[in-house]
Amino acid sequence: MDSGNGSEDGTPWGRGDGQGDDDDINRDWGHKDIPNDVEVLKRVWRNEKSAPEILAYESLLVERVQEQIANMEENILAAAESLDDMMLSIFEMDVNRLMFLLRAYLRVRLSKIDKFALHIMRTADLWDRLSPQEQEYASKFVDVLSKHMHDSVLGKLEKAYESMMKQAASSEENDMIVEPNLDTYVFCRSKTALGTFQLDDKGDETVDMMPNDLYILRYRPVRNLIETDRIELV
Amino acid sequence: MFGRTAAQLVREVNNDDQHIRRFNYDLFDKVIAEIQEHFQQVTTIMEKGQEENEDGQITSVDENYNGAVIHHQSILRNKRCLLAYMYHRANRLQRLRWQLGAVLPEDVKGLLHPSEKEFVKSYSEALSSYMTKLDIDLTVDITPPKDPYIQVRVLDNIGEVLLGDQSTSLVRNSIHFVKRSEAETLISQGLLEEFTG
Repeated sequence: MDSGNGSEDGTPWGRGDGQGDDDDINRDWGHKDIPNDVEVLKRVWRNEKSAPEILAYESLLVERVQEQIANMEENILAAAESLDDMMLSIFEMDVNRLMFLLRAYLRVRLSKIDKFALHIMRTADLWDRLSPQEQEYASKFVDVLSKHMHDSVLGKLEKAYESMMKQAASSEENDMIVEPNLDTYVFCRSKTALGTFQLDDKGDETVDMMPNDLYILRYRPVRNLIETDRIELV
Repeated sequence: MFGRTAAQLVREVNNDDQHIRRFNYDLFDKVIAEIQEHFQQVTTIMEKGQEENEDGQITSVDENYNGAVIHHQSILRNKRCLLAYMYHRANRLQRLRWQLGAVLPEDVKGLLHPSEKEFVKSYSEALSSYMTKLDIDLTVDITPPKDPYIQVRVLDNIGEVLLGDQSTSLVRNSIHFVKRSEAETLISQGLLEEFTG
């Protein structure tokens, strides 16, 4: 992900104008790139939180943020003598907030994996969105869950009914797997004017996406826009 | 009526929100028995159908066929109810793992089916191994941090605990000013409470 975007608003993290003070601090602390990554992580986390399905894992971003956290902690330790308590506590809060974002991001992904593990494992496209560690976790989780279900319920049923994926052996499809509802509604915002956007196949329903306006739309038609980073979920 | 016992079982997990109730062996076994009964019926009907149609053809207008379908559907319904019951309980156990850490309190353990105990253990292992690989504890910091420090009151005599880089003696009812991230585990275990006086 390009870390050069995502700081256009005037949040305390933004690298906008009139923040000379911030720049000074950043220079002193040697983490000039943080505001951008933090901003990106925040958006990635919000997208993940609002999207019904699991999104692609941001491995580079997570690595960068982890590095930043380590750096910041080191800097705090190194400067603990020279700074007064007030400043120290502000810097610590900085680290804690970043830690929170990172944890929240990983957590919301885990909760989706817990919920849709079977579905994710059986869909190559979704499976590729997980990090290697998440893949390992997901397969373990599926093993654990199916063992539990077989030991408690399924093992007591007749052969024709013992599957966890199908209601009965005669079912043609796997009709017991929970899938996310992609037709749920999401709040989203576009960063740029996207022009007229088609919401269904027939073209009966369209919407004019204006920059920074909020829209409530069905997730399915806009999922590509999230993948390509043209809109964000809120 | 078919499927009523199973519905009762499901209602049990729906009723109260957070608590884990004692595993209901009574209803659970009844539903399993019902399923076996239905299966017997299906088999008998099918066999009878075979006998009556000597030429081996079962027509869909056969009255016996409808009976078999009802029994088959009842099995499916009961199966889904049983799985829903287990799944809901499993979800609640997962939540407990996040709140209380890897070891479940004894009183909760007493409420569980043996397979559920096994499930919590393996789930916890999978989660721990994930967190170890990433070298990050995800079970702290559940709420966004407002202040890195909070005041806590000690609810029990805990003794010497290493908080930050110094060891602190946590005596019952004493109040401490500690890092939130360090206190959170102890708070969720019910050893400390946030002091907002």
